Amino acid sequence: MTGQFAYPPDREELSAKKVAALESLLIEKGVITAQTVDKVLAYFETEMTPLNGKKIVVKAWTDPEFAEKVVDDTPAAIAELGLPEGMAGAEGEHLQAVANKPGVHNLVICTLCSCFPWPVLGLPPYWYKDPVFRARAAREPRKVLAEVGLELPDDTEIKVWDSSGHSRYFVIPERPAGTEDFTDEQLMELVTTESMIGVALAGPVS
Amino acid sequence: MKLQHYLGGLEGLPEITTLEKRVFVEEWEKRIFGIHVAMMGLSNHLGSALPGYPIDEVPTTFKDEWTWADLRTGAEAMNPFDYFKYRYYEKWLGGITQFFIDKGYVTEEELTARMTEPAPTETETKPEIDDQVIAYLRNGDSPRRDVAHPKLAVGERVRVTNVPAGSHTRLPGYLRGRVGTIERIFEGDYAYFVHTGDGIGDPMPVYAVAFDPVEIWGPRAEPGPETLYAELYEAYLEPTKEQS
Repeated sequence: MTGQFAYPPDREELSAKKVAALESLLIEKGVITAQTVDKVLAYFETEMTPLNGKKIVVKAWTDPEFAEKVVDDTPAAIAELGLPEGMAGAEGEHLQAVANKPGVHNLVICTLCSCFPWPVLGLPPYWYKDPVFRARAAREPRKVLAEVGLELPDDTEIKVWDSSGHSRYFVIPERPAGTEDFTDEQLMELVTTESMIGVALAGPVS
Repeated sequence: MKLQHYLGGLEGLPEITTLEKRVFVEEWEKRIFGIHVAMMGLSNHLGSALPGYPIDEVPTTFKDEWTWADLRTGAEAMNPFDYFKYRYYEKWLGGITQFFIDKGYVTEEELTARMTEPAPTETETKPEIDDQVIAYLRNGDSPRRDVAHPKLAVGERVRVTNVPAGSHTRLPGYLRGRVGTIERIFEGDYAYFVHTGDGIGDPMPVYAVAFDPVEIWGPRAEPGPETLYAELYEAYLEPTKEQS
């Protein structure tokens, strides 16, 4: 029984060796090439990154017509922006933006797995995949948000989106006050992955 | 009944003190993620996906289907204590390695040997394999198959079915038997990668359904205005009695 709760002392080293052995054999047997994994990782470092989401949010902050369209028809709105090819690619086939507004805060979760809008936000951070977060955010989102530093007013409605179907959700946070004179680049710095999932607000404005 | 199907709403779990914002916390995790993406991009079902990929022409020796459904089925099949014990990519490493062993691509003995011996450096370059994987990332694998043919209407009160789940489901356990309101009918009919045995697989309408947390959690719902939305396949919904 005690074995259930014990980790091997060389836990990470063992996993590193296992995955290296697996990758090496898959290359040798012609399943993948010696470059495949590196090319995949490079793709996520250069093309499927949160920079795309940041650009979408800033466009919504600065163009009221776009702000409306990105919620009504997310793929069509995104297609206008000149982002890298592939915004409707893997895990972006059916993107859906939800917008915060005064009195309404959105939070995206996935209680069954870890569905995430790859093309616009990149890969999910560990907190999003954590079973504790996934379990608790479904039942007590207000408490969870407060624990991670987002105290919402008692009368703010929280809309929790459990990604159990085909859509991949992301949040358009509210534009922080005091940013009227900001350039697009300055605005983009206020947008974090956390704010586009709904565990943080955009900002802070320094 | 699998804990993994009933994760949403599980009680007794600890406070969340910090957000681990990294995607990978160990370098090795990147490798298993890359292998998984490659498998998805080389999966034999992509020949009939939208868009149709020329998968039969890709010079890979990978000849099986590998989708999210396979990875998720593996995670849902885990001992629930292990599910909590192991980190995200540790679970992937276990599931994916076992798949390659079960399907005969590699053996346990080869893996053990390769863990101690250096790998051969000479390999054939087949850029077509990598090109297909990247094409999959760019073009995806949409489950949409048609315009929607909905039996339910926006505003309708619906009850979530309580059909027994098999080894894999897309029905969050905490919603079983609960009543919600159709908020939106999505534009198409949507297939799922596999027939899960609890009703999904063939193309069907999908709905965004709004639930009052009090309906789900009763008096133990969190106070304050909240709505929980789930995306549910039509097979998981039935009209409430007062309307039928």
